[in-house]
Amino acid sequence: MRTREARLPGNYHDAVVKWRDTFIPDYDFLMDNWEKHFPKEPRFKLCAFRELGICNEIECGDDVGKPKITCPSDLGPDRARHLLGAIRAQASTEFGSIQQHRLTLARAQEETDQVWVLRMMAEELRHGYQMLHLLLEDDWSSVSDQTGPDLVEEILSMQTGSHVLGAFNIDFDSFVDNIVFCALIDRVGKYQLAMQRVSAYKPMAESMPKMLREEAFHLATGVVPMRRWATEAAEGDVYISMEMLQKAINKWLPRGLEMFGDERGGGSNVRMGFKPMKNAEAQDQYRAEVGKLVDDLNMRYLRARLPELGRNEADKLMEEIETERSTRHGVGWEDLIHLSHPHFFRRRGVPAFTMVGFEGETFEALDDYTAHLRRHLPESYLAGRDFRDYLETLKQVAAGELSAVDASRRMPSLRRVGGSCPCSRSVRWVSEEPLPAAADQPAS
Amino acid sequence: MQATTTDVQIRQLDTVDLGAVTTIDEKITGRYRPDEWERRVGYYLRRDPDAALVAEVDSEVVGFMLGEVRSGEFGLEEPTGWIEVLGVDPDRRGGAIGQRLAEALLDHFRVEGATTVRTLVDETMEDIAGFFSSLGFEPAPLRPFVKAL
Ligand SMILES: CC(C)(COP(=O)(O)OP(=O)(O)OC[C@H]1O[C@@H](n2cnc3c(N)ncnc32)[C@H](O)[C@@H]1OP(=O)(O)O)[C@@H](O)C(=O)NCCC(=O)NCCS
Ligand SMILES: [Fe+2]
Ligand SMILES: [Fe+2]
Repeated sequence: MRTREARLPGNYHDAVVKWRDTFIPDYDFLMDNWEKHFPKEPRFKLCAFRELGICNEIECGDDVGKPKITCPSDLGPDRARHLLGAIRAQASTEFGSIQQHRLTLARAQEETDQVWVLRMMAEELRHGYQMLHLLLEDDWSSVSDQTGPDLVEEILSMQTGSHVLGAFNIDFDSFVDNIVFCALIDRVGKYQLAMQRVSAYKPMAESMPKMLREEAFHLATGVVPMRRWATEAAEGDVYISMEMLQKAINKWLPRGLEMFGDERGGGSNVRMGFKPMKNAEAQDQYRAEVGKLVDDLNMRYLRARLPELGRNEADKLMEEIETERSTRHGVGWEDLIHLSHPHFFRRRGVPAFTMVGFEGETFEALDDYTAHLRRHLPESYLAGRDFRDYLETLKQVAAGELSAVDASRRMPSLRRVGGSCPCSRSVRWVSEEPLPAAADQPAS
Repeated sequence: MQATTTDVQIRQLDTVDLGAVTTIDEKITGRYRPDEWERRVGYYLRRDPDAALVAEVDSEVVGFMLGEVRSGEFGLEEPTGWIEVLGVDPDRRGGAIGQRLAEALLDHFRVEGATTVRTLVDETMEDIAGFFSSLGFEPAPLRPFVKAL
């Protein structure tokens, strides 16, 4: 694999390092303990990596077969604006997730889990850096009033909250969130990066392979502890239960689905040659993958509960419990984890603000639905601002005061473009005007 | 039914495949070792996720192969691809699944700049020796030495 390594110009590099010192205060701990946890693995390095020798021709869309574009001014104004929005959104997502992880990092029970999350945070910083590199190395002046340096400054200063328009918070309530976020939300990242690997804009495509390799580790950072927790739950651990994992998945999965954009959209990305799949298709694949994770956790749980069973017996038992919803050998359907219906607890996209329950059942009365959500979401999350804002808006939709479409618009954007306000100790997801997502919604 | 080459899809291993990998190992060895596979897969995904592959037939994982490129070991200066862990579902043996996995991994090793690929085979495991021989591997003069501690 031939890669080119690049650094941002001096003062920008320094600005990112300063940002790191603020939001990853345990960075030195990570580096001091690197050899202990990752022996013989190359040490983390803050730089941009561009893969050399990738495909030269546009791989999807209207211009398929033509040479990939290397300079923003050759994209044409529409495509360039679309792409610029995507890069900015990607950059702020990378920086934003670090701010979220930071809140509950210290609550990890195991040093290994904590160090893995820390490494993942450092790599998210590198992802942000990689996006800044795209903004600085190329000349965007023909498509944006802002110069590259302006754009970078804007992204790095998002922590001040100065750009935040309609903000809300999805706080991490415990270390369970750090882990489930990695398993579910970084998995959305995997899809986005994999799709962007074929980008018609060559510098974007060249930026993806290394990021994707790192993303595989981020997913492991989530999935491996979840599997371990399922075993511990089976063994009667008092700190972790399957119900807790179920509720954390219920909290994040609907947000993960929404990060693919409106189910009717994504056509413009495909036409413009930036991504090979429309939103709904990618979303379906994603949900199926999370389904596999859930099946896996259940089997890990069942076999830890009943270690005397062989593989075939365990398979058979699992099938009986799942299909008959019966209790066998003390293990019942409700002891296992299940995937929520894709329309459950949605606030964006086609099912936004429809009152659809965990199993796809529909609710007529707001109170019944609220009670249903309360039963399926983590206790600590119910008290937070995000849930309260959602309920408030749902109430207006249910009362006919607000259309679902307007309510969706009011909900914070799927693509996080805001940073965190340092004083609020929380990350803000905002809806800001020129969003690439907006171009995708609805049917494009 | 034996899978033909065209039915087999090779893709990067994802941690959601851990259950399938554990099952294949259990079918081969008779031992259920989920922790061991979590540890191993975690290791290879950190080293080089592009060298951690699974084979799928009808969306079901039927084989896996893990390896990496290293240099400077055992006096071997040149970058060398190592195939270190492999398994094909016993129900799917002889369907060229192992071969497809090896081809994909070797392609990746070449891209990584390796000019040689090596593996260690326990001579008592004839299936693996036969498999590598038919892929063109030959016994190498480098011999492992062991001593009980
Ligand atoms: C070795 C193994 C990978 C082969 O997989 P496979 O999918 O059945 O192999 P393929 O169908 O791709 O066969 C490729 C070649 O290997 C040969 N081969 C496969 N199994 C063989 C055997 N048991 N003896 C001799 N040759 C064999 C095939 O004949 C074929 O050669 P050809 O192309 O000249 O006809 C598989 O048998 C296996 O997983 N064995 C156990 C591995 C193990 O013990 N793992 C422990 C956990 S790490
Ligand atoms: Fe990232
Ligand atoms: Fe990530």
